[in-house]
Amino acid sequence: MKNGKPVVLVVEDSPMIRMGAVDLVLSAGYEALEAGDADEAIRILQSRADIDLVFTDVQMPGTMDGIKLSHYIRDRWPPVKLIVASGAAIIEESMLPGGSRFFSKPYDELTITEAMAQLLSHQHPHFPIS
Amino acid sequence: MLQTPPVHLEAASTLAVVVSSIEPLLFLSDDLKVIAASASFCRAFEIDPASVPGMRLSDLGAGEWAMPKLESLLSATASGSANIEAYEIDLKRPGKKTRQLVLNARTLDDGDLEHIRLLLAIADVTDARAEARLKDDLIRDKAILLQEVQHRVANSLQIIASVLMQSARRVQSDEARGHLHNAHHRVMSIAALQQQLSRSLGGTVELRAYFTQLSRSLGASMIADPERLSIKVAVDDSVVDADVSVSLGLIVTELVINALKHAFPDKGIGKIAIDYRSSGGDWTLSVADNGIGMPAGNDAPKAGLGTGIVEALVKNLDGKIELSDAGPGTVVTISHRDTTDLENDLSSAV
Repeated sequence: MKNGKPVVLVVEDSPMIRMGAVDLVLSAGYEALEAGDADEAIRILQSRADIDLVFTDVQMPGTMDGIKLSHYIRDRWPPVKLIVASGAAIIEESMLPGGSRFFSKPYDELTITEAMAQLLSHQHPHFPIS
Repeated sequence: MLQTPPVHLEAASTLAVVVSSIEPLLFLSDDLKVIAASASFCRAFEIDPASVPGMRLSDLGAGEWAMPKLESLLSATASGSANIEAYEIDLKRPGKKTRQLVLNARTLDDGDLEHIRLLLAIADVTDARAEARLKDDLIRDKAILLQEVQHRVANSLQIIASVLMQSARRVQSDEARGHLHNAHHRVMSIAALQQQLSRSLGGTVELRAYFTQLSRSLGASMIADPERLSIKVAVDDSVVDADVSVSLGLIVTELVINALKHAFPDKGIGKIAIDYRSSGGDWTLSVADNGIGMPAGNDAPKAGLGTGIVEALVKNLDGKIELSDAGPGTVVTISHRDTTDLENDLSSAV
Protein backbone atom coordinates (compact mmCIF):
# COMPACT_ATOMS: atom_id res chain seq x y z
CA MET A 1 0.00 0.00 0.00
CA LYS A 2 1.12 3.52 -0.72
CA ASN A 3 -0.78 6.42 0.84
CA GLY A 4 -3.64 4.04 1.53
CA LYS A 5 -3.83 2.87 -2.08
CA PRO A 6 -3.02 -0.70 -3.08
CA VAL A 7 0.01 -0.95 -5.37
CA VAL A 8 -0.24 -3.12 -8.50
CA LEU A 9 2.77 -4.13 -10.58
CA VAL A 10 1.97 -4.78 -14.24
CA VAL A 11 4.39 -7.16 -16.01
CA GLU A 12 3.90 -7.25 -19.77
CA ASP A 13 6.34 -7.13 -22.66
CA SER A 14 3.99 -5.62 -25.23
CA PRO A 15 4.10 -1.84 -24.65
CA MET A 16 0.58 -1.27 -26.00
CA ILE A 17 -0.97 -3.91 -23.76
CA ARG A 18 1.14 -2.71 -20.81
CA MET A 19 -0.12 0.84 -21.35
CA GLY A 20 -3.69 -0.40 -21.38
CA ALA A 21 -3.17 -2.48 -18.25
CA VAL A 22 -1.56 0.41 -16.37
CA ASP A 23 -4.46 2.63 -17.41
CA LEU A 24 -6.87 -0.03 -16.19
CA VAL A 25 -5.11 -0.22 -12.79
CA LEU A 26 -5.10 3.56 -12.41
CA SER A 27 -8.76 3.85 -13.37
CA ALA A 28 -9.59 1.25 -10.74
CA GLY A 29 -8.02 3.61 -8.18
CA TYR A 30 -4.76 1.79 -7.51
CA GLU A 31 -1.12 2.80 -7.78
CA ALA A 32 0.49 1.28 -10.89
CA LEU A 33 4.05 0.14 -11.48
CA GLU A 34 5.25 -1.46 -14.68
CA ALA A 35 7.86 -3.95 -15.83
CA GLY A 36 8.64 -5.29 -19.31
CA ASP A 37 9.75 -8.74 -18.18
CA ALA A 38 10.13 -10.98 -15.14
CA ASP A 39 13.68 -9.85 -14.33
CA GLU A 40 12.62 -6.22 -14.17
CA ALA A 41 9.60 -7.21 -12.09
CA ILE A 42 11.83 -8.98 -9.57
CA ARG A 43 14.17 -5.95 -9.36
CA ILE A 44 11.16 -3.75 -8.60
CA LEU A 45 9.81 -6.21 -6.01
CA GLN A 46 13.25 -6.28 -4.34
CA SER A 47 13.47 -2.49 -4.27
CA ARG A 48 10.19 -1.81 -2.46
CA ALA A 49 7.98 -3.52 0.04
CA ASP A 50 4.62 -1.94 -0.77
CA ILE A 51 3.50 -4.05 -3.75
CA ASP A 52 0.18 -5.77 -3.08
CA LEU A 53 -0.58 -7.45 -6.40
CA VAL A 54 1.27 -8.49 -9.55
CA PHE A 55 -0.66 -8.65 -12.82
CA THR A 56 1.52 -10.54 -15.28
CA ASP A 57 1.58 -11.80 -18.84
CA VAL A 58 2.86 -15.34 -19.45
CA GLN A 59 4.97 -15.37 -22.61
CA MET A 60 7.77 -12.85 -22.14
CA PRO A 61 11.42 -12.61 -23.10
CA GLY A 62 13.98 -13.04 -20.33
CA THR A 63 14.89 -15.75 -17.88
CA MET A 64 11.36 -16.46 -16.63
CA ASP A 65 7.91 -16.56 -18.10
CA GLY A 66 4.86 -15.36 -16.16
CA ILE A 67 4.16 -18.80 -14.69
CA LYS A 68 7.68 -19.18 -13.31
CA LEU A 69 7.53 -15.59 -12.12
CA SER A 70 4.28 -16.20 -10.26
CA HIS A 71 5.77 -19.21 -8.46
CA TYR A 72 8.92 -17.24 -7.69
CA ILE A 73 6.89 -14.39 -6.23
CA ARG A 74 4.71 -16.72 -4.16
CA ASP A 75 7.88 -18.30 -2.79
CA ARG A 76 9.83 -15.12 -2.14
CA TRP A 77 7.02 -12.65 -1.32
CA PRO A 78 4.14 -14.83 -0.15
CA PRO A 79 1.65 -12.04 0.65
CA VAL A 80 1.70 -10.62 -2.89
CA LYS A 81 -1.49 -11.48 -4.81
CA LEU A 82 -1.22 -12.74 -8.37
CA ILE A 83 -3.23 -12.38 -11.57
CA VAL A 84 -1.93 -14.05 -14.71
CA ALA A 85 -3.17 -13.42 -18.25
CA SER A 86 -2.16 -15.15 -21.44
CA GLY A 87 -3.12 -15.52 -25.06
CA ALA A 88 -2.39 -19.24 -24.86
CA ALA A 89 -5.57 -21.17 -24.22
CA ILE A 90 -3.82 -24.18 -22.70
CA ILE A 91 -2.94 -22.64 -19.35
CA GLU A 92 -5.03 -23.52 -16.34
CA GLU A 93 -5.23 -22.05 -12.87
CA SER A 94 -3.87 -25.35 -11.52
CA MET A 95 -0.49 -24.54 -13.07
CA LEU A 96 -0.27 -21.41 -10.93
CA PRO A 97 0.36 -20.89 -7.23
CA GLY A 98 -2.74 -21.49 -5.12
CA GLY A 99 -5.09 -18.54 -4.86
CA SER A 100 -3.86 -16.83 -8.00
CA ARG A 101 -6.24 -16.07 -10.83
CA PHE A 102 -5.87 -16.77 -14.54
CA PHE A 103 -7.58 -15.02 -17.45
CA SER A 104 -7.34 -15.58 -21.19
CA LYS A 105 -6.41 -12.73 -23.45
CA PRO A 106 -8.10 -10.65 -24.57
CA TYR A 107 -9.41 -10.17 -21.04
CA ASP A 108 -12.44 -8.16 -20.16
CA GLU A 109 -11.28 -5.18 -18.14
CA LEU A 110 -14.16 -5.31 -15.69
CA THR A 111 -13.40 -8.96 -14.98
CA ILE A 112 -9.79 -8.03 -14.18
CA THR A 113 -10.69 -5.10 -11.94
CA GLU A 114 -13.22 -7.26 -10.11
CA ALA A 115 -10.61 -9.97 -9.59
CA MET A 116 -8.16 -7.34 -8.31
CA ALA A 117 -10.73 -5.91 -5.91
CA GLN A 118 -11.58 -9.37 -4.66
CA LEU A 119 -7.95 -10.42 -4.14
CA LEU A 120 -7.07 -7.12 -2.48
CA SER A 121 -10.05 -7.25 -0.14
CA HIS A 122 -8.62 -10.32 1.57
CA GLN A 123 -7.14 -9.07 4.81
CA HIS A 124 -5.17 -12.19 5.43
CA PRO A 125 -3.27 -14.44 3.10
CA HIS A 126 -5.35 -17.44 2.02
CA PHE A 127 -2.41 -19.78 2.17
CA PRO A 128 -0.38 -21.02 5.11
CA ILE A 129 2.92 -19.26 5.71
CA SER A 130 5.51 -21.91 6.35
CA MET B 1 37.27 -81.12 -50.22
CA LEU B 2 33.97 -82.85 -49.93
CA GLN B 3 31.25 -81.34 -47.84
CA THR B 4 29.23 -83.59 -45.59
CA PRO B 5 25.89 -83.93 -47.36
CA PRO B 6 22.87 -82.72 -45.38
CA VAL B 7 21.48 -85.54 -43.35
CA HIS B 8 17.97 -84.44 -43.97
CA LEU B 9 16.66 -83.44 -47.38
CA GLU B 10 13.92 -80.81 -47.49
CA ALA B 11 11.01 -81.15 -49.85
CA ALA B 12 11.63 -79.15 -53.02
CA SER B 13 8.27 -77.44 -52.62
CA THR B 14 9.17 -76.20 -49.13
CA LEU B 15 12.39 -74.73 -50.42
CA ALA B 16 10.61 -73.17 -53.39
CA VAL B 17 8.05 -71.52 -51.08
CA VAL B 18 10.83 -70.07 -48.93
CA VAL B 19 12.87 -68.79 -51.87
CA SER B 20 9.90 -67.11 -53.51
CA SER B 21 8.56 -65.47 -50.32
CA ILE B 22 7.84 -61.81 -50.90
CA GLU B 23 8.70 -60.99 -47.32
CA PRO B 24 12.38 -61.57 -46.48
CA LEU B 25 12.47 -65.07 -44.99
CA LEU B 26 15.14 -67.43 -43.67
CA PHE B 27 14.68 -71.15 -43.27
CA LEU B 28 17.04 -72.40 -40.56
CA SER B 29 18.03 -75.68 -38.99
CA ASP B 30 17.96 -75.94 -35.19
CA ASP B 31 21.72 -75.40 -35.08
CA LEU B 32 21.09 -72.10 -36.90
CA LYS B 33 22.41 -73.00 -40.29
CA VAL B 34 20.62 -71.50 -43.27
CA ILE B 35 18.78 -74.14 -45.27
CA ALA B 36 17.30 -71.61 -47.64
CA ALA B 37 16.86 -67.85 -47.90
CA SER B 38 14.22 -66.02 -49.89
CA ALA B 39 15.37 -64.05 -52.90
CA SER B 40 13.78 -61.03 -51.22
CA PHE B 41 16.06 -61.52 -48.19
CA CYS B 42 19.19 -61.74 -50.32
CA ARG B 43 18.18 -58.64 -52.25
CA ALA B 44 17.24 -56.57 -49.22
CA PHE B 45 20.35 -57.41 -47.20
CA GLU B 46 22.79 -57.78 -50.09
CA ILE B 47 23.67 -61.42 -49.62
CA ASP B 48 24.84 -63.60 -52.51
CA PRO B 49 22.08 -66.25 -52.89
CA ALA B 50 24.56 -68.87 -54.05
CA SER B 51 26.57 -68.58 -50.83
CA VAL B 52 23.60 -69.11 -48.55
CA PRO B 53 22.67 -72.81 -48.28
CA GLY B 54 24.45 -74.57 -45.45
CA MET B 55 26.03 -71.43 -44.11
CA ARG B 56 25.75 -70.55 -40.44
CA LEU B 57 23.48 -67.56 -39.77
CA SER B 58 26.38 -65.85 -38.00
CA ASP B 59 28.54 -66.15 -41.13
CA LEU B 60 26.06 -64.54 -43.54
CA GLY B 61 27.36 -61.47 -45.34
CA ALA B 62 30.23 -59.96 -43.38
CA GLY B 63 29.06 -61.53 -40.13
CA GLU B 64 26.50 -58.82 -39.36
CA TRP B 65 23.87 -61.45 -38.47
CA ALA B 66 26.05 -62.77 -35.67
CA MET B 67 24.00 -61.25 -32.89
CA PRO B 68 24.18 -63.18 -29.61
CA LYS B 69 20.69 -62.00 -28.60
CA LEU B 70 19.21 -63.21 -31.88
CA GLU B 71 20.98 -66.54 -31.68
CA SER B 72 19.82 -67.10 -28.13
CA LEU B 73 16.23 -66.27 -29.07
CA LEU B 74 16.30 -68.53 -32.12
CA SER B 75 17.75 -71.42 -30.12
CA ALA B 76 15.06 -70.93 -27.49
CA THR B 77 12.41 -70.90 -30.22
CA ALA B 78 13.85 -74.11 -31.67
CA SER B 79 13.71 -75.80 -28.28
CA GLY B 80 10.17 -74.56 -27.79
CA SER B 81 10.91 -72.43 -24.71
CA ALA B 82 10.37 -69.02 -26.32
CA ASN B 83 8.74 -67.31 -29.23
CA ILE B 84 10.05 -64.48 -31.32
CA GLU B 85 7.14 -62.23 -32.03
CA ALA B 86 7.69 -58.77 -33.40
CA TYR B 87 11.14 -58.70 -31.85
CA GLU B 88 12.97 -55.50 -32.72
CA ILE B 89 16.65 -55.54 -33.45
CA ASP B 90 19.18 -53.27 -35.17
CA LEU B 91 21.18 -54.65 -38.05
CA LYS B 92 24.57 -52.96 -38.12
CA ARG B 93 26.74 -53.26 -41.18
CA PRO B 94 30.08 -51.50 -41.65
CA GLY B 95 29.81 -48.53 -43.97
CA LYS B 96 26.01 -48.77 -44.12
CA LYS B 97 23.19 -47.22 -42.19
CA THR B 98 21.81 -49.25 -39.31
CA ARG B 99 18.52 -50.89 -40.27
CA GLN B 100 15.69 -51.38 -37.81
CA LEU B 101 14.29 -54.89 -38.16
CA VAL B 102 11.19 -56.55 -36.80
CA LEU B 103 11.62 -60.32 -36.49
CA ASN B 104 9.10 -63.11 -36.23
CA ALA B 105 10.21 -66.73 -35.88
CA ARG B 106 8.48 -70.02 -35.41
CA THR B 107 9.26 -73.66 -35.87
CA LEU B 108 8.07 -75.33 -39.05
CA ASP B 109 5.17 -77.52 -38.16
CA ASP B 110 5.31 -80.29 -40.80
CA GLY B 111 4.96 -83.23 -38.43
CA ASP B 112 8.68 -84.08 -38.60
CA LEU B 113 9.66 -83.98 -34.90
CA GLU B 114 13.13 -85.38 -35.62
CA HIS B 115 14.22 -82.30 -37.49
CA ILE B 116 13.34 -79.01 -35.91
CA ARG B 117 13.56 -76.18 -38.43
CA LEU B 118 12.83 -72.50 -38.04
CA LEU B 119 11.19 -69.91 -40.21
CA LEU B 120 12.52 -66.43 -39.53
CA ALA B 121 10.68 -63.51 -41.16
CA ILE B 122 12.59 -60.25 -41.27
CA ALA B 123 10.77 -56.99 -41.90
CA ASP B 124 12.88 -53.88 -42.45
CA VAL B 125 10.89 -51.07 -40.82
CA THR B 126 13.61 -48.41 -41.01
CA ASP B 127 11.87 -46.35 -43.70
CA ALA B 128 8.39 -46.81 -42.24
CA ARG B 129 9.66 -45.72 -38.82
CA ALA B 130 11.43 -42.70 -40.30
CA GLU B 131 8.25 -41.74 -42.11
CA ALA B 132 6.17 -42.14 -38.98
CA ARG B 133 8.67 -40.02 -37.08
CA LEU B 134 8.61 -37.35 -39.77
CA LYS B 135 4.83 -37.34 -39.66
CA ASP B 136 4.84 -37.01 -35.87
CA ASP B 137 7.32 -34.14 -36.15
CA LEU B 138 5.16 -32.42 -38.73
CA ILE B 139 2.04 -32.81 -36.62
CA ARG B 140 3.89 -31.44 -33.61
CA ASP B 141 5.30 -28.53 -35.63
CA LYS B 142 1.84 -27.75 -36.93
CA ALA B 143 0.36 -27.77 -33.43
CA ILE B 144 3.12 -25.47 -32.18
CA LEU B 145 2.66 -23.14 -35.13
CA LEU B 146 -1.09 -23.06 -34.60
CA GLN B 147 -0.62 -22.27 -30.92
CA GLU B 148 1.79 -19.51 -31.83
CA VAL B 149 -0.68 -18.03 -34.30
CA GLN B 150 -3.53 -18.23 -31.79
CA HIS B 151 -1.33 -16.58 -29.21
CA ARG B 152 -0.51 -13.76 -31.60
CA VAL B 153 -4.15 -13.29 -32.54
CA ALA B 154 -5.10 -13.13 -28.85
CA ASN B 155 -2.40 -10.56 -28.20
CA SER B 156 -3.43 -8.46 -31.19
CA LEU B 157 -7.05 -8.51 -30.05
CA GLN B 158 -5.86 -7.53 -26.57
CA ILE B 159 -4.02 -4.53 -28.01
CA ILE B 160 -7.14 -3.43 -29.92
CA ALA B 161 -9.37 -3.97 -26.87
CA SER B 162 -6.93 -2.08 -24.61
CA VAL B 163 -6.67 0.88 -26.97
CA LEU B 164 -10.47 1.11 -27.31
CA MET B 165 -10.95 1.01 -23.54
CA GLN B 166 -8.25 3.62 -22.96
CA SER B 167 -9.95 5.89 -25.49
CA ALA B 168 -13.33 5.23 -23.88
CA ARG B 169 -11.97 6.30 -20.49
CA ARG B 170 -10.56 9.51 -21.92
CA VAL B 171 -13.34 10.88 -24.13
CA GLN B 172 -15.65 13.49 -22.65
CA SER B 173 -18.77 12.81 -24.69
CA ASP B 174 -21.12 10.07 -23.54
CA GLU B 175 -22.07 9.31 -27.12
CA ALA B 176 -18.47 8.84 -28.23
CA ARG B 177 -17.82 6.69 -25.17
CA GLY B 178 -20.84 4.55 -26.07
CA HIS B 179 -19.49 4.02 -29.57
CA LEU B 180 -16.06 3.06 -28.25
CA HIS B 181 -17.63 0.61 -25.81
CA ASN B 182 -19.64 -0.94 -28.63
CA ALA B 183 -16.52 -1.27 -30.75
CA HIS B 184 -14.90 -2.96 -27.75
CA HIS B 185 -17.83 -5.41 -27.46
CA ARG B 186 -17.51 -6.29 -31.14
CA VAL B 187 -13.81 -7.01 -30.71
CA MET B 188 -14.52 -9.13 -27.63
CA SER B 189 -17.19 -11.01 -29.57
CA ILE B 190 -14.61 -11.99 -32.17
CA ALA B 191 -12.17 -12.80 -29.38
CA ALA B 192 -14.67 -15.18 -27.77
CA LEU B 193 -14.95 -16.95 -31.11
CA GLN B 194 -11.18 -17.11 -31.39
CA GLN B 195 -11.00 -18.76 -27.98
CA GLN B 196 -13.63 -21.31 -28.97
CA LEU B 197 -11.78 -22.03 -32.20
CA SER B 198 -8.49 -22.52 -30.38
CA ARG B 199 -10.15 -25.26 -28.32
CA SER B 200 -11.86 -26.95 -31.25
CA LEU B 201 -10.57 -29.18 -33.99
CA GLY B 202 -11.11 -28.65 -37.66
CA GLY B 203 -12.33 -25.05 -37.63
CA THR B 204 -15.81 -25.70 -36.30
CA VAL B 205 -17.44 -24.04 -33.33
CA GLU B 206 -19.84 -25.41 -30.75
CA LEU B 207 -22.43 -22.70 -30.61
CA ARG B 208 -23.65 -23.33 -27.07
CA ALA B 209 -20.19 -22.83 -25.56
CA TYR B 210 -19.53 -19.84 -27.81
CA PHE B 211 -22.79 -18.04 -27.08
CA THR B 212 -22.42 -18.77 -23.37
CA GLN B 213 -18.97 -17.22 -23.32
CA LEU B 214 -20.22 -14.33 -25.43
CA SER B 215 -23.10 -13.57 -23.09
CA ARG B 216 -20.81 -13.83 -20.08
CA SER B 217 -18.39 -11.37 -21.65
CA LEU B 218 -21.16 -8.95 -22.64
CA GLY B 219 -22.75 -9.27 -19.21
CA ALA B 220 -19.44 -8.69 -17.44
CA SER B 221 -18.84 -5.43 -19.25
CA MET B 222 -22.38 -4.10 -19.65
CA ILE B 223 -24.42 -5.29 -16.70
CA ALA B 224 -23.65 -3.34 -13.56
CA ASP B 225 -26.14 -5.26 -11.42
CA PRO B 226 -26.39 -8.96 -12.33
CA GLU B 227 -29.24 -9.31 -9.85
CA ARG B 228 -31.31 -7.01 -12.02
CA LEU B 229 -30.37 -7.94 -15.59
CA SER B 230 -29.50 -11.40 -16.81
CA ILE B 231 -28.74 -13.13 -20.10
CA LYS B 232 -29.91 -16.69 -20.63
CA VAL B 233 -28.56 -18.93 -23.38
CA ALA B 234 -30.51 -21.87 -24.83
CA VAL B 235 -28.73 -23.48 -27.75
CA ASP B 236 -29.02 -27.02 -29.12
CA ASP B 237 -25.97 -29.16 -29.97
CA SER B 238 -25.30 -27.26 -33.19
CA VAL B 239 -21.75 -27.11 -34.46
CA VAL B 240 -21.08 -24.65 -37.28
CA ASP B 241 -18.19 -23.54 -39.47
CA ALA B 242 -15.97 -20.77 -38.17
CA ASP B 243 -17.07 -18.21 -40.75
CA VAL B 244 -20.76 -18.80 -40.06
CA SER B 245 -20.17 -18.62 -36.32
CA VAL B 246 -18.38 -15.27 -36.55
CA SER B 247 -21.48 -13.81 -38.25
CA LEU B 248 -23.87 -15.40 -35.74
CA GLY B 249 -21.71 -14.17 -32.85
CA LEU B 250 -21.65 -10.61 -34.13
CA ILE B 251 -25.43 -10.68 -34.69
CA VAL B 252 -25.97 -11.89 -31.11
CA THR B 253 -23.56 -9.23 -29.84
CA GLU B 254 -25.40 -6.42 -31.62
CA LEU B 255 -28.85 -7.62 -30.55
CA VAL B 256 -27.81 -8.08 -26.93
CA ILE B 257 -26.09 -4.68 -26.81
CA ASN B 258 -29.23 -3.17 -28.29
CA ALA B 259 -31.53 -4.85 -25.79
CA LEU B 260 -29.32 -3.93 -22.83
CA LYS B 261 -29.18 -0.32 -23.99
CA HIS B 262 -32.80 0.29 -24.89
CA ALA B 263 -35.14 -2.33 -23.45
CA PHE B 264 -34.69 -1.59 -19.76
CA PRO B 265 -34.64 2.15 -19.10
CA ASP B 266 -36.29 1.78 -15.70
CA LYS B 267 -34.73 -0.08 -12.81
CA GLY B 268 -36.89 -3.19 -13.07
CA ILE B 269 -35.71 -6.74 -13.41
CA GLY B 270 -34.95 -7.71 -16.98
CA LYS B 271 -34.11 -10.82 -18.89
CA ILE B 272 -32.54 -11.42 -22.27
CA ALA B 273 -32.84 -14.84 -23.86
CA ILE B 274 -30.60 -16.06 -26.67
CA ASP B 275 -32.01 -19.09 -28.44
CA TYR B 276 -30.61 -21.06 -31.37
CA ARG B 277 -31.78 -24.30 -32.89
CA SER B 278 -31.19 -26.04 -36.16
CA SER B 279 -32.63 -28.90 -38.12
CA GLY B 280 -30.80 -30.10 -41.20
CA GLY B 281 -29.72 -26.98 -43.05
CA ASP B 282 -32.43 -24.83 -41.43
CA TRP B 283 -31.74 -22.75 -38.38
CA THR B 284 -33.41 -20.13 -36.22
CA LEU B 285 -31.69 -17.64 -33.96
CA SER B 286 -33.65 -15.40 -31.66
CA VAL B 287 -32.79 -12.78 -29.09
CA ALA B 288 -35.69 -11.86 -26.87
CA ASP B 289 -36.05 -9.38 -24.04
CA ASN B 290 -38.87 -8.65 -21.62
CA GLY B 291 -38.29 -4.91 -21.67
CA ILE B 292 -40.38 -1.96 -22.83
CA GLY B 293 -40.77 -3.05 -26.45
CA MET B 294 -39.70 -1.20 -29.57
CA PRO B 295 -41.20 2.16 -30.34
CA ALA B 296 -42.76 2.18 -33.81
CA GLY B 297 -43.59 4.83 -36.40
CA ASN B 298 -42.20 8.29 -35.77
CA ASP B 299 -40.85 7.24 -32.38
CA ALA B 300 -38.76 4.50 -33.93
CA PRO B 301 -35.07 5.18 -33.35
CA LYS B 302 -32.84 5.93 -36.30
CA ALA B 303 -31.09 2.78 -37.47
CA GLY B 304 -27.53 2.80 -36.16
CA LEU B 305 -24.38 0.94 -37.04
CA GLY B 306 -25.58 -2.07 -35.06
CA THR B 307 -28.68 -2.43 -37.25
CA GLY B 308 -26.52 -2.09 -40.34
CA ILE B 309 -24.17 -4.81 -39.13
CA VAL B 310 -27.04 -7.18 -38.32
CA GLU B 311 -28.75 -6.60 -41.68
CA ALA B 312 -25.56 -7.14 -43.65
CA LEU B 313 -24.64 -10.31 -41.77
CA VAL B 314 -28.15 -11.79 -41.98
CA LYS B 315 -28.23 -11.11 -45.72
CA ASN B 316 -24.85 -12.79 -46.07
CA LEU B 317 -26.15 -15.83 -44.19
CA ASP B 318 -29.13 -15.93 -46.50
CA GLY B 319 -31.53 -15.42 -43.63
CA LYS B 320 -34.45 -13.17 -42.86
CA ILE B 321 -35.08 -10.93 -39.88
CA GLU B 322 -38.38 -10.71 -38.12
CA LEU B 323 -39.15 -8.28 -35.36
CA SER B 324 -42.09 -9.04 -33.14
CA ASP B 325 -43.73 -8.05 -29.92
CA ALA B 326 -42.94 -10.49 -27.13
CA GLY B 327 -45.53 -8.91 -24.81
CA PRO B 328 -43.73 -7.67 -22.83
CA GLY B 329 -40.60 -6.88 -24.75
CA THR B 330 -39.25 -7.58 -28.16
CA VAL B 331 -38.07 -10.66 -29.94
CA VAL B 332 -35.80 -10.52 -32.96
CA THR B 333 -35.85 -13.77 -34.93
CA ILE B 334 -33.42 -14.59 -37.68
CA SER B 335 -34.21 -17.66 -39.68
CA HIS B 336 -32.59 -19.48 -42.54
CA ARG B 337 -34.23 -22.07 -44.73
CA ASP B 338 -31.93 -24.37 -46.60
CA THR B 339 -32.59 -24.13 -50.33
CA THR B 340 -29.43 -25.85 -51.56
CA ASP B 341 -31.36 -28.72 -53.15
CA LEU B 342 -33.75 -26.31 -54.82
CA GLU B 343 -30.87 -24.24 -56.20
CA ASN B 344 -29.17 -27.35 -57.50
CA ASP B 345 -32.36 -28.36 -59.25
CA LEU B 346 -32.66 -24.92 -60.82
CA SER B 347 -29.06 -24.78 -61.96
CA SER B 348 -29.22 -28.23 -63.47
CA ALA B 349 -32.37 -27.20 -65.34
CA VAL B 350 -30.61 -24.22 -66.97
